[in-house]
Amino acid sequence: MKRLQLHIGLVLVLLVILAGLLSLFWTPFDPIQVTSYNKLLAPGWPNLLGTDGMGIDIASRLLVGARYCLIVGVISVGLAALVGVPLGMLAGLRSGWVDELVMRISDVVYAFPALLLAMLFAAAFGASTMTAMTAIGIATVPAFARVARAGTVQVAASDFVLAARAAGTSKWGIAVRHVFPNIAPLVGVQASVGFAMAILAEAALSYLGLGTPRVTPTWGGMLRDAQDVWFIQPIQALWPGMAIALAVMGFNLLGDGLRDILDPRLRELK
Amino acid sequence: MSKTGGELRILSRSHKQLRTFKSIIAAAVVFSIGLTGCGTPTPSGSSTTTPNKLVIGATLEPANMDPFHNTAASIPQVLLYNVYETLVKLDSDGQLRGLLARSWDVSPNRKEYTFFLDPAAKFASGAPIDANAVVANITRMQDDPRLTETLRQQLEVVDSAVVVDATHVRIELKRPSMMWLYEMSSTLGMIVDPTVTDITTQSAGSGPYVVKAHRKGQSVILEKNEAYWDTPARFDEVTFRYYDDPNAMNASMLTGDLDIISNLQAPDALPQFSDTQRFTVTKGTTNGEIVLGLNHHNEALAKLEVRQALTKAIDKNALLDTVWNGQGTVIGSMSVPTDPWYEDLSHVNSYDPEGAKALLKAAGYETGLKLRFRVPVVPYALKSAQFVASQLRDIGVETVVEELEFSRWIPEVLTNGDYDMTIVAHVEARDLGKFADENYYWHYGAPEFVRLYNDADQAESAQSVVFMRDAARFLADDAAAIWLFVLPSLIVTKANVIGVPENMTSLSFDLTSVTSR
Amino acid sequence: MIVQIGKKVGVFALSLLGASILIFLITNALPGSVAYVILGTDATPEAVAVLEAQLGLDRPLPIQYLEWIWGVLSGHLGVSPLSGDHVADLLSERVGITAWLVVLGILGSILIALPLGMIAALRRTKWSGFVISSLAQVGMSIPVFWGGIILALVFAVLLRWLPANGYVPLLEDPLAWLRHMILPVTTLALVQSAVLIRYVRSAFIEVLNEDYYRTARAIGWTPLRALFRHGVRNAAIALVTVIGLQLSSSLVGAIVVEKVFNLHGLGRLLLDKVSERDLVVVQSTVMLLVLAVLLINLLVDLSYAVIDPRQRGKRK
Repeated sequence: MKRLQLHIGLVLVLLVILAGLLSLFWTPFDPIQVTSYNKLLAPGWPNLLGTDGMGIDIASRLLVGARYCLIVGVISVGLAALVGVPLGMLAGLRSGWVDELVMRISDVVYAFPALLLAMLFAAAFGASTMTAMTAIGIATVPAFARVARAGTVQVAASDFVLAARAAGTSKWGIAVRHVFPNIAPLVGVQASVGFAMAILAEAALSYLGLGTPRVTPTWGGMLRDAQDVWFIQPIQALWPGMAIALAVMGFNLLGDGLRDILDPRLRELK
Repeated sequence: MSKTGGELRILSRSHKQLRTFKSIIAAAVVFSIGLTGCGTPTPSGSSTTTPNKLVIGATLEPANMDPFHNTAASIPQVLLYNVYETLVKLDSDGQLRGLLARSWDVSPNRKEYTFFLDPAAKFASGAPIDANAVVANITRMQDDPRLTETLRQQLEVVDSAVVVDATHVRIELKRPSMMWLYEMSSTLGMIVDPTVTDITTQSAGSGPYVVKAHRKGQSVILEKNEAYWDTPARFDEVTFRYYDDPNAMNASMLTGDLDIISNLQAPDALPQFSDTQRFTVTKGTTNGEIVLGLNHHNEALAKLEVRQALTKAIDKNALLDTVWNGQGTVIGSMSVPTDPWYEDLSHVNSYDPEGAKALLKAAGYETGLKLRFRVPVVPYALKSAQFVASQLRDIGVETVVEELEFSRWIPEVLTNGDYDMTIVAHVEARDLGKFADENYYWHYGAPEFVRLYNDADQAESAQSVVFMRDAARFLADDAAAIWLFVLPSLIVTKANVIGVPENMTSLSFDLTSVTSR
Repeated sequence: MIVQIGKKVGVFALSLLGASILIFLITNALPGSVAYVILGTDATPEAVAVLEAQLGLDRPLPIQYLEWIWGVLSGHLGVSPLSGDHVADLLSERVGITAWLVVLGILGSILIALPLGMIAALRRTKWSGFVISSLAQVGMSIPVFWGGIILALVFAVLLRWLPANGYVPLLEDPLAWLRHMILPVTTLALVQSAVLIRYVRSAFIEVLNEDYYRTARAIGWTPLRALFRHGVRNAAIALVTVIGLQLSSSLVGAIVVEKVFNLHGLGRLLLDKVSERDLVVVQSTVMLLVLAVLLINLLVDLSYAVIDPRQRGKRK
């Protein structure tokens, strides 16, 4: 059972990735073309999961939705890691006021939940996928900075770093050659968990109408559309809801599983 | 709700915006008109309906109770005919009849109107509604520097108002105008108690109800005017409860919290109210033309062939089926079935994709045309835009769809004209005159149309109807815009509630005929 | 001890300062945006200038910032240029619903998570424990709004036990208030408890490995008695931390729940004002929410000392 969650997580994440890749080359039907007389079909053949209120094949939109879900996750988590990890390493390697300053700023940003920051951005810059991803990314920076700092402090105190330092390796050299490779797995765990959070946040934003425009097939947007026919065809809300839940669970389990492997002592924590 | 308030105020800040806005606001209001009425005494969702209370659900909350300084259609929705009365009233068939005035005479040159007031009419305060009160209202508006631009334009035709005797008022116009009398049945004609100075805090009407409370963000509560001069109100208390999510409103109706959904905003949800033991659905029509606006300043759209091609590319019947569940009416010009001059013009430039391609080719756009399609974030516009974009793709016209919050759509599209195509509902009554204004966001104003329209407005009424029909036909032939459909009035009531008006011909949600068994 | 508290309060004040600067910079990032929103994009530069002068937007940013902060500190949050409403009035009208939602949601999630988490810890090698953990994992993955919609569908529309949405003030009709709060609070509590269960489980598993627990078990106490006697207090530290975090995520969850259940709280206010781009209201509302988050963090920090005497003077 120890590896079970890792394996389930891996399978789910791979499914999302495969669906996203597949949608680049093939979907059962056109995910955008409205087919006027086919609306609200129940699941069956050839529309496996039925059609939505505009007569568009739900399975096709779901596949394309996987792609947008991945794009949102990769960009927002990528942004957070690119900013957060170097900052965290800097704070960890150069203690004193630099450390204090970085961590204080990080604490301030940490007080802004992703959704709140995204709403603030939407008010200031207008709602779009880009503002949503940027806001989610920024809100996730502190998490990466903390992980990176904690890891760096630990690594910096280790014998081999002390040895390297004694041998005259520069701080930069130590950071690149010794610290980063050692904290990378920790960052990976954080990225996986952050990915799950980003998917949830973007879905909520699309549901609130502050994320991706409706014509673009996203899972959150599909849920919002499904609400119009909620009492007639509740099953419409099932598919995108399940897609979001499975993707989030996949990344969460993957993160947990990786953490267990990396640090068996922490297995029962968090 | 508060959203509309914001939009409207945005409007009120800008002269230019105000001028052009009434109809848009009306669009917002159509939305707000999704009134849901609840017959439950408490909002607790318990099913003990007491017959003397009514709860109505609506989708846009008025910012305040002052229709003279805010064009939001959500204000007259609550106040018109219910709290404030007018000299004349539009009934459910679109006909004018007397309200405070028992009758009226028109002079042969059609520039003098004499109104005979009902001697029994009095304000809720007990003061009589006499000729002095009517004249005071007209001069008050004429002297009000903050009056909304829409009202100011409607009032402009009035030359003077004269007290003949206690129950006779004579109003003289600068030129004949058929539209003016229609406008007098709406906000322009609301007679306010002249002794009340601030109508935002005190209701000063003569209708069967008075405003009891406005709970910001939630509801407006009306209570019975005990001193009403005509047939007393049927309910002791009527609540307009506001939702910004149509589905939440539907859910409240299904759980029995509401007695009426004033206008169903998600027609796909209609089947859930099919249980006739519990619900009655009243289907009618409104003044809300959903217009696919074309910017005539765009080089391609200035060409008749291109506009005709775009019109022919769209299957309006299929669009109506897909977007609004087949509810509503396909029209073909800026006129609705309750207009006296209405004729079905949907056959003009009807669906013909091959013909559309040929026209595009003739206009020199066979290799493609790219248009910016900027639509406001309201359900009918988003869904229609998705459908239209998909069909235009079939004739080789590429559209870049951009969704804008109303608060951005208004300045950028409506005011600034920064768009090629857009979609919005124009919910004002008899509003084809908008096409005569070259500065309005379509930038249309073809001289031939302007001439037809002005002739129609100034002609005597039978002739006027004929001219107005010609004007509407001209718009259709010229493909001045693309008319997608008229929003239906879909009122859902509990089975015990009867008498809701079939058609929404005015901005009012008229409670005077509503009763419960 | 006093020094410790003083230092924590100092950090809190600094964070607050930082947060306010951040909010102010974001909402004022686009020059004159409020005036442009009001006037429309075709507004002449002169008209914009006049309006900005009227609204005081033509002054240097630091002055505007200080004015806003002074207003926040003295309770005068200004007037929305778009709607003319006093921001302080808007906030005070709305804060009640959100506060009820968050407080009851947290209490509900503790009521659900504490027993389930303990069981999951005690039976961690058995199927029942596994099922609880798995359910928690599933619960964590479900979007809040989806959960809310499903609850409304089942309990309001299908069973008609409860109202689907809306709100009645407590003082007006306590019973109606309760009926309206049940579904939103349950939604929030269920989603929050999923996260909480995992923390409770971990915290108790740690306790189970401690010597005092083993001793208690060895002298014949039942697992539950032993856990309650020793475990709860020791797990409390971890729990307080987590509940602190939970409160801030509940605040965000409340925004979405208010939308689903048509409740006019702070979240809905924020959502409406974001759509209208009424930045004056948005900046104060966000500030209030962030203040709440930071205050909760401070209280959590301070409460360590109270809960666990060993921590006194030890934590930095």
